[in-house]
Parts: sequence; structure tokens; C-alpha cells
Amino acid sequence: MEDAPPFPIFFLTELRKYVNYLVLLLLCIGLASVNVLAQDGPMTPGKDAPADADCGITLSGKVTDHEDRSPLIGATVVLEGTPHTSITDANGHYHFHDLCPGTYRLAVSYLGYNPERLEKFVRAPEVINFRLHPDALQLHSVEVRIAKQREQIPQATSHLSGQELRQTHGQSLAQSLERMTGLTSIQTGPSIAKPVIHGMHSNRVLVMNNGVRHEAQQWGSEHAPEIDPFVASALTVVKGAAGVRYGADAIGGVILVEPKALRDSAGTSAELNLVGVSHNRQGVVSGMVESNPAGIPSLSWRLQGTLKKAGNSKTPDYYLANTGYQEQNFSAAAGYTREKFGVDAFFSRFDTKLGVFSASHVGNLTDIRNALQRERPEPEAAFTYDIGVPYQNVTHDLMRLHGFYRTGSASRLLFTYARQYNQREEYDAHGDQSTPGLRFEITTHSSEAVWEHPLIWNLKGSIGATYQYQFNRYEGRFFVPFYQSHTGGLFWIENWEKGKWHVEAGLRYDYRYLQAKLYRKDTPERTGQSELDNELLTPTHRFQNLSGTLGAIYHFGPHLDLNLNASTAWRSPTTSELYSNGIHHGTGTYEYGNANLGVERAYNFMATLAYVQNKRLNGEISVYHNLIDNYIYQEPDTVPTLTIRGAFLTARQKQTNATFSGVDVSASYQLTDHLLFATKASLVRAYNQSADEYLIWIPSDRYENSLRYSVERLGAQGVFAQNFISISGLAVPRQRHIPANYLARDYAMPPAGYFLLNAEAGTTLQLGKQQIEVGLIGRNLLNTAYRDYLNRFRYYADEIGRSITLRVSIPLNF
Amino acid sequence: MKVFLKPSLAILFTASVFMTSCSNDEDPIPTNEEELITTVQLYFNPINAAGNIPTATYRDIDGPGGQAPTITPVQLNPNTNYALSVTVLDESKTPVGEITEEVEEEGDEHQFFYVPSSGLNLTVTYNDADKNNLPMGINNLATTGAASAGTLKVVLKHQPGQKSATSTVNTGETDVEVSFPITIQ
Repeated sequence: MEDAPPFPIFFLTELRKYVNYLVLLLLCIGLASVNVLAQDGPMTPGKDAPADADCGITLSGKVTDHEDRSPLIGATVVLEGTPHTSITDANGHYHFHDLCPGTYRLAVSYLGYNPERLEKFVRAPEVINFRLHPDALQLHSVEVRIAKQREQIPQATSHLSGQELRQTHGQSLAQSLERMTGLTSIQTGPSIAKPVIHGMHSNRVLVMNNGVRHEAQQWGSEHAPEIDPFVASALTVVKGAAGVRYGADAIGGVILVEPKALRDSAGTSAELNLVGVSHNRQGVVSGMVESNPAGIPSLSWRLQGTLKKAGNSKTPDYYLANTGYQEQNFSAAAGYTREKFGVDAFFSRFDTKLGVFSASHVGNLTDIRNALQRERPEPEAAFTYDIGVPYQNVTHDLMRLHGFYRTGSASRLLFTYARQYNQREEYDAHGDQSTPGLRFEITTHSSEAVWEHPLIWNLKGSIGATYQYQFNRYEGRFFVPFYQSHTGGLFWIENWEKGKWHVEAGLRYDYRYLQAKLYRKDTPERTGQSELDNELLTPTHRFQNLSGTLGAIYHFGPHLDLNLNASTAWRSPTTSELYSNGIHHGTGTYEYGNANLGVERAYNFMATLAYVQNKRLNGEISVYHNLIDNYIYQEPDTVPTLTIRGAFLTARQKQTNATFSGVDVSASYQLTDHLLFATKASLVRAYNQSADEYLIWIPSDRYENSLRYSVERLGAQGVFAQNFISISGLAVPRQRHIPANYLARDYAMPPAGYFLLNAEAGTTLQLGKQQIEVGLIGRNLLNTAYRDYLNRFRYYADEIGRSITLRVSIPLNF
Repeated sequence: MKVFLKPSLAILFTASVFMTSCSNDEDPIPTNEEELITTVQLYFNPINAAGNIPTATYRDIDGPGGQAPTITPVQLNPNTNYALSVTVLDESKTPVGEITEEVEEEGDEHQFFYVPSSGLNLTVTYNDADKNNLPMGINNLATTGAASAGTLKVVLKHQPGQKSATSTVNTGETDVEVSFPITIQ
């Protein structure tokens, strides 16, 4: 033996050895089943090839940019002289299966790059990688492509775009995301839903809307993200602590809402989306028009708008009173891009009016107990589009300016400034109904400068600085005080790629200054003497800490990746956790903040094994473990708060050490050419380590199986393209992982499990040059009456019954 | 690379990040909670007899939370008829808010309910009506029986669109729910 290699390399080779064993084992299982079915399967791609090409040889590889090694997505690889063509996937991989030994001529081409050719005698499975050189003459179009590329990161991510995203049109952002494994939503009746990632939500999940951290009243579970899902052309979720790139607070994960890039080729196009939903007679019209004038090729613009109106929702047996809502949203974007630099501006307004379910408007504990005894919610309701009190009026404005300056062929300086203004008005059923009982206004300015440095020693990365200022004010009854905060951060992330390894490491420092303003009478220290009570208190808090991430991807081959990631993130307590003081209507709780709360820190460990881009079996398994020190949570007090309105449950903010661990599994198997079976499961367990018991309000396990039948073309001359019909079943058992004396913390035990049958169908009509995409979605087809544990209104009413959605999407080209 | 190293450009970008620095000196307006109920009083005015009017009071001047409420019990005579009236006040304001008047104005959406504890020989019957001829419970008749002790729970319900001949103490939202200790002797 020679000298032992330096420790990191030694460690990596050791790790690689074990991983190899594991993968070999999995491969054997996987391939055995694939081979058995492949023998009589009809899917032999080479059956019409000149040679009877099925000798089981796979030819694969990766196509990357020569300069910065980024994968080239959508590059064409042709085996010249054969009908075989492969398009590179999201990781830049291409593959040809079932080839016979022989000499093949590979031709690789990609817009903006010089094509390459290679002749190769192939005897055994082989990996051939290509590094394309940018074509200097077409640098402009290359830029756009690079910007669109999706970086592969070691953390578990899910992605929704294209037809699958369009099938969710008409649903809220959180409901759309439920298609991803590991994601659920916490609901407050049928109109308000917030995304939950691996059991965590609200303050622990960041939403990045068009690259800007969405800032609103996210402290409450009844405040849904104020984002029009029609703006997004892709939704990506990073599961697990992602604080380094996106800032403190991203303990549970990050949701990225990404609009389509502006047009990069001359012309004008538009899109019209129409959606109708049966259970609340919802109608949605959403339109978009965009252009890149031929006269000014550097300029692009887009206008987009959505109108939505829904009435009372219907459960299998009754309507839910005052659950209608309406939305009027619009956005405008314009960009000017040159070879060396680019600037763009984006403005969006989200405006909604939401009815709050009448039966949930209860007073004290007795009222909630009465509601629990009822078979049907009171008052009874018929269908109406009218929205009465109580209701919420919410508007959210986002203005974003963004620019880049190219500092080299593969390095850029990026700058973003954004201003957000969020206004929430809550109209009560009591008192003067012409003015809101409570009005919040929250203004946020944020800016970010990032430098993406050029490739140095195989290292690709970025360094950045961020700053955010936020001011919150309110009018009306007290719940959360006035506050202003300054948050600054510095981060540095590097990616190293060599051979089969991709390693990512990052570090971030954040500083936060918070000053609240409130009168003593709004704190638990209230005295009852007006002189003392009207003293203005201005408590300040300073928090600072580090976030870090270390992850690696090992590519066993073009089909199998192992992602390992360890990261740490922190968050400071929010103003509501520190200072809220009052009755939380609808939940019958008197909530006390805790001004002594400290920083919450999470350590997240995650491993994901992905078997992708195969002919038949594909799948992904992801396991995670989160340790959260000083986890902030609301603990119900055994002594209720007695008021003149009766007794209220008392809840106080506490900190404990908690763990969140779980597993997400998804797999699909192509049974025949047309039939695909898919399965998904996600399980999460959250435990309060200090009290040695489970945490409450954690999503139940979810299992979903689906069968999808798809046909590429149907009808005369294939008028119907991309046809599919799918049926799926979702099983959610009762949450059994709960603390022993459950009813001391919640009004009712977790509801029974349920099974829902859903179905979808879609087609794209080709009428001459005009395309029309049609989708039909049926939810809860068996009209099952059920209640979900994570719906805050489960005390009062059932979930939505059978619902049919019809959607039409019409792209127009001028 | 070279362009980035131009100090002027670097400074410009870095500076602009922190240029958005702001601050706001606005103070919150000290608002009084709308419709704060601090006080509930029961007046037992003996019918066919002069003399003092026993009064039960529940008072929580600083509203929910903070200081504990004070409760004054009452003593009633056995086998006596009383005119029982209720007053709801906001004593945190000057002048004192007369909430009973507001309840009366919205009488078709409100109703007081009186629930004596078991063992207390007291019956309460309504002696008023709203515009739909349904009781409001502001003015009542209270009749005592033999000597006994217990509590009388008074509940004010807000029942918008729900108040009917069949609506009960379990219908609608609770505005007031207090219990008064009562002795009959």
C-alpha cells in the first residue's frame, strides 16, 4: 500500500464503496423486474432500426458547457444513420438503450454552441460526455438559455410545470403544491390554505415570488400566501433547511414561484385560460399577452391578469355559509437585455376578498363545544356568491427591479430591489361594519447584490449581500404591535464538480434588529390604571447567527443519483410570537406572546436516492431528520382565561427541543406503452424531545396511487394530441402519533382517516394552426364526507364534496 | 473580471444594497377596543314590596386578561317575585358605554339566557319582546322558591339571522357568559 490518501479523499472513497454496495443491491432488484417485463413488452425502441437493434447495450453521457460546466438541457444527440435521437434531460444527460455492438456516429447540437461529432466503436455499455464550446456569434441566445437552466442542488426538490401545473389552475398555491410528495396544506376553511413542507409551515417556510422573499402577515395559519398561481410557469419546492441562499427562517423549506422568462424571439403571443369549478361554482379568467418587438430586439414585455369569483363551497351534505371569495390580480413585466447587461422591472398586484365561514365565528370555549356537538354547521346556508361579515380584504403589491452585468463569459453581477406592500383588513360581525375591526399594513423593502464568479479550479459559486427593512402598523383592535426591523445578510455558496461528484457548500451570516412599539395596556402587564397603561413601550431585540450547508451529489450513472445534505438554519421569533396578546377569533384561544423567546436553530440531514430517466421504473426515496433546538410552539395552558365573554383556552409561546423526521417515496412503472402506474407516500413524525411526546398539528401519513393511460395522437390526422386519462386514490389515515392527554390541547381528537378518489383527463386539440388545451379534473368523486386534521375549521364542518373542474388553455400567436 | 474590479462599480452596487435603509417614527394610536364589555349587573327589584334592590355585579375593568374580575353575589328572599333586569356596560370609557341600549336596538339578533344551577330554587321568565315578538331577556320575572344556594349563569348570544322561536342558548356566538353566586334565605 502507498501512503493513505488525505482524509477527505479517503472518506469519500470509503463512502463511495458503501454507496456502491447499496446501489448495486437496488439496481439488481430494479433491473431484474425491468428485464422480466421488458422481454415481452412492446417498448423496444430499435425494432424498426436497420439492424435488429436489441442487444442491451446502453450508450449515455452528459452534455455540458465547456466554460462553466453547467449542464445543457434540451441538447439534441443523434446517432447518425439510425432513427435514434435523445434530448438531454434536466441534468444534461442523454441515453440510448438496447443498442447492438457496432460503430456509431454521435452528433451533438445545441443552439448557441458549436456542434460536435464523434465516431465510436461500441462493444459494451459506455459513457461519452460532451463539452460544447459556445458559438461566439450567437452569444445573445446562449445567455437566455443559461438563465433558464435549473441548477441541481443536493437538497430534495420537487418541481411542477407545464401541463401538470396547468391542471392545478383554479386552485390556490398551497393546493397546487399538494401534488408534490412531502407537501400538504394547513387550511382555514375552503378559501384559505397555506403550504406545509415536511410538517412545517408559516414562519418556517419561505415563499420566493419571482426571486423576492414574499413578506406579509405569514405568522398566522389563516393568512394564505398572496400570490396569483397564474403568474407562475414553474413551482419548485426545496425541502429542508435552505437558509444559506434564501435567508434565515427557511427552516422547513422554500417555495419558488417562477414566472416564465420574457420572450427572447421577435413576435407577439398571448394565452387565455378559462376555469370552471363545480363545488363553489367558481369561474376564473386569466389572460396574458407578451411581445418582443422586431424593431427593438432587446426589449420584451408582458401583461397578465386574473379574475376569479367563487361562491359558497359545498360539502357532500350542505353548503358552507359565507365561504365565497373573489380575486382581481394583474402583473406587468418589461425587460431590456443586451449582450453585456440587462434590466427588467416587474409589478404585480394581488387583491382578494375572502368570506370567513360563518359557523367558525364563535365566541368562547362553550361555543366551540356546542359546534362540536352539531351534525351540521349553524347557520344553514344556500348557494350564493355574496360575501357577508366577517370577511377579509387583502391586497399585496410587489414591485421588483432587477439587473445583471456580465463580468466575464461565465460570471455575472446581479442586483435586485423590491418593495412589497401588504394590506389586510378584517371586517368583523360586530360593531361598525363600515370600517375594518383590524387593519394591518406591512411594507417591506429588500435588496440583494450577488456576484456569480467564473469557474476557478472547478469551483462555481456566488457571493452575495442582502438587506431588508420592514415596517408593520395596524389600526383597530390590538393583536400584533407596530414594529420595524432591519435585516442584513452575507452569503457565499460554492459548487464543485468533478467526475461523478458534485459538492455544494455554503455559509451565511444574518443580523436582525427588531423594535416593537406597544402600549402597556396591550401587554399582559396591564394594570387597569390608565396612566400606567397608556405608556408607550419600545422593546428592541437583536439577533445574529450563522447558517450553513454542505451537500453532495454522486452520479452513479446517467440514471442513478445519490444526494446527501446537511444544513443548519435559524430563525428569530416573530413579533407575533413575542408580543401577541388577545383573543384569536375563530379558534377560541386567548394567545399570549413571550418576549423572552430566543433564536430557534435547526439541523437538517437528508439523503435522497433518485433512479431517473429510465424506460420503465423510475423512483425517488428521500429520508430526512431535523433537529430543532428551541423550537417555538404554542402550548395550551390547563387554566382557561376567564373573561366576561366566558372561558377561553389559554395558549402561551414556549420553546423546546423537537425533531421532525420522515420519508418521502415516489415511484412510477410504465406497465405498457400507454399505461403508467405511479405511487407516492409521505410520512412525518414530529416529537417534542423535552416533554417526551409527539407534537400536535402534524400532517397524517399520505399514500397515493394512480394509473394513467396516455395516447400521443387520436382522431383523424391526430386532431387530439397528448391525450391522457388518469385515476388516483389518496388514503390518509387518522393521525395516531399524538400526545397522551390530547384533549387538554385541542378541542377534538384527530378526525378519522379517509380515502378520496380523483380522476383527470386532458387533451390538446389541433384545429389547423390553433391549439386548444382542455383539462378535466374530478376531485372526491365518491362524494366522501370527511374532515382533515390540518383544517382549522374541522371542528365545524366537513371538507368539500365532489368537485369537477373544467379548464381550457388557448395559446395565441400573432 | 476586469470590469468587476473597477472599484467605482463595485462600490455603487454594494452601496445600493444598503441604500434602501429606512426608518419610521410613527407611533400606534392608542385605541380603545370597540364593544369592550366590562360590567354586567343584575337588578332584582322586588314586586309588591318596597325596599332595597339586590344587585349582582360582574366587573372586569381592564377587559380580558390582566387583572382578575370582581364578582358581587346577591341574597334574595324565598318565595318572592322579582322584576329582574340586566345592564351591560363598558366602564373603561368616559362616559360609560351603555351596551344594553345597543343590544336592545339589535334586539332581533340578540337574546339573554338565564341558566340557574341545579338546586337553586329560582325560575326566570322573559318579560319583553323584540320586533319579531321574540324575547330579548333584558327585562324578566324572577321567582324564588324555598331557601337554597347556587349560581345563575347569564349568557348573551349574538344570533344574526339565526334567532327564532327554536333558537337556544347553544345558537350563535357568545357575547357575555358570566355566573353569579346567589343565596336564597
